[in-house]
Amino acid sequence: MTRIIDATNLSVTFKSYGYEIPAVKNVEFHLNEGEVVGVVGESGSGKSTLARVLAGLQIPTTGQVLYMGEPIQRGSVTYPGEMRKAVQMVFQDPYSSLNPRMRILNAVVEAIIQHQTRDRAAAEEIALKLLKRMGISETDARKYPNSLSGGQRQRASVARALSAQPKVLIADEPTSAIDQSAQSQLLELFTDLMADGLSIILISHDLGVIRYLSDRVYVMENGVFVESGNTQDIFNKPEERYTQKLIASIPK
Amino acid sequence: MSKQNLLEIDSVRIDVRVTRRKRLRIVDTASFNLQPGQLLGLIGESGSGKTMLCRSLVGTLLRRGAYVHSGSIKFDGEELAHATKRQWQKIRGRQIGYVPQSALAGPNPVLKIGAQLAEAINQGEKKSAAEVRSRAIELLELVQIRRPEVVLKQYPYELSGGMKQRVMIACAIAQNPKLIVADEPTTGLDVTVQAEILDLLKRVREEFKTSIILVSHDLQMINSVCDDIVVMHAGVTVEQLSAGQVQNSLHPYTRALYESRIDLVEPRGRLATIKGQPPAVGAWPSGCRFADRCDYVQDRCRNTDPIPFFKISESHMSACVRHEEIFGGKK
Repeated sequence: MTRIIDATNLSVTFKSYGYEIPAVKNVEFHLNEGEVVGVVGESGSGKSTLARVLAGLQIPTTGQVLYMGEPIQRGSVTYPGEMRKAVQMVFQDPYSSLNPRMRILNAVVEAIIQHQTRDRAAAEEIALKLLKRMGISETDARKYPNSLSGGQRQRASVARALSAQPKVLIADEPTSAIDQSAQSQLLELFTDLMADGLSIILISHDLGVIRYLSDRVYVMENGVFVESGNTQDIFNKPEERYTQKLIASIPK
Repeated sequence: MSKQNLLEIDSVRIDVRVTRRKRLRIVDTASFNLQPGQLLGLIGESGSGKTMLCRSLVGTLLRRGAYVHSGSIKFDGEELAHATKRQWQKIRGRQIGYVPQSALAGPNPVLKIGAQLAEAINQGEKKSAAEVRSRAIELLELVQIRRPEVVLKQYPYELSGGMKQRVMIACAIAQNPKLIVADEPTTGLDVTVQAEILDLLKRVREEFKTSIILVSHDLQMINSVCDDIVVMHAGVTVEQLSAGQVQNSLHPYTRALYESRIDLVEPRGRLATIKGQPPAVGAWPSGCRFADRCDYVQDRCRNTDPIPFFKISESHMSACVRHEEIFGGKK
C-alpha cells in the first residue's frame, strides 16, 4: 500500500506569555491510500492541532508532513499549486464554517470554480449534482445556511470539501454537533465515499463513530500517541490504561 | 394520575412571541409524570422543545419571550403553569434546581466560584459569611472537587469544563431541592468526564432522594443511566417508557432512534437512518408529526389531531395511533 500522507517527528508548540505549551509532541503518523484512520482523545489532547497540521493550516514547530513522498511545505506555503486539491478538511462546527451570507449552492460553486472549471454554469451543474448526492435538494441548495439543520449544513460542508475532488478528507469531529439521526446519515455518506476510494482522517472523541468507520486508530493523550493499531484490536484488547478508561466510559 | 407523582405535566403548550401579533407554538401537548426519587431522561432532536419544556419548570420562559399557553404543570400539588414571579421565587432554586445547558458558559465569568455558590446558598434565609463559606466547601466536596478552598477563589475560566459543570451542580443542590432539571449537562464534555458527571448525578439522587430530569439527545446515554425515558419529537412527547424497555418501544420514532445506534451494527454495516428532518417549528403538519418520516404511515395518522397519548401500562405511554397493529399490541 502506498502511504498517501506520512508525518515524521511532528511537534507543535504554542507560545503564550513567555510560556511554551507543547500541543503535539514528536508524533509519527501515516495514512495509506483508501484507508480510514481515526484519531481519538479527550479535549486538549492535541487532536485538532494535529488535524490542522496535516491539512496545512498550521506550520509544525519541528518535523514535516509528506504527501505522496513530497513535503507539503515549500517556504511559507503549504500544499502549493495542484497539491492543495488533494487534501481537504471538514470542520467541527457546521454552524460557523459556512458563510451565513452565502447561499449553500454558491458556497459550493465558488469552490468548484476555484478547483475545477472557470465556467459558472458548468460549475453550478456540478455543484447541484454533488449536493444531491449529499442528500441536499435543489430547493435547499438555494437557501442560506441558517435555514438548514445542523446535519444538512454538515453535509453541505462535505460537498464543498469534495468539490476539489480530494484524495484525502480530514474530518475534525464531524458528528459532535449534530443529532443522532443526522449522524447516521452523515456516516452513511462517509461509507459511500470510502467505496469510491477516498482516504479519510477522522478526528473524534466519539468512540462509537471511530469503531464504526475506521480501519486503524491512534489514541492521543497530552500530545502523544499512547496507542495505535487496528481498530478491532484496540477495541477488543486495549493495552494502555488511558484507552481502557476511554472505552469504559462509553454508555452501555 | 396517582397522588404520589412529584411532577405531573399534562398537555402543556408553550408559545413564543415573535412579533406583536405573531405567536409561534414551540411545544404542544407535552405530557409526562415523574415520581419522587426518579431519574427521568428527556430526549429529542434539536428543536424538539426539550429546553423550552425544562425552562417552563423553573419559570424562566419569559426571558426568552415565551409563555405557557395552556395545559397544567403540577409540582408537589402546586399548579405552576401560570405561576407568578413571586411564586417562582419560592420554587426556583429552592425546590427545583436547574443545571443549564452549556457547561462552559454556565457560570458567570466575572464572579469567583465562591461568590456564585454564596448566591445559591443565600436564597432563603440569610446566613453569616462563615456559614456560607463552610456550606460552600461542603457542597464542593460533595461534587468531588479537590482543594475546595482554592477553587472558591478561582474564576470560571480557570476551571475545566467538567469542573464547571460540577460547580453548576453544586449550585443546583445548594438548597436541597426536590427536583433537579439538568439540561444537557454532558454535551460538549469528553466521554470520560461525561461518565463522571453522570455518576455524580446518580450519587446525588441516592444521597438526597432527589428526582432528576436529565435532558439529552443521546438515547444510548439516557438508556444506560435513567429509570424512565420520555421521548420528544417536534414539540410533542411521543412516548414515555421504562429505560430497559426501549427495544419494546411502541412508537416508530423511538424504535428508529434506538435502531440508528451505531454500536448495534458491525463496523461499516448498514446503518438504520431516519428519513428526512423533523418538521420545522411553525410548519408542523396536522396529525402525527412523525408521519412524513415514518415507515408505517397511513391516512389516519395524518387525520387524527391531536394524537391521543395512549396509556399502555402504568409506566408506558405512546402517541402512535397504530401502535397496536405495528408492534402486535404486546405490552
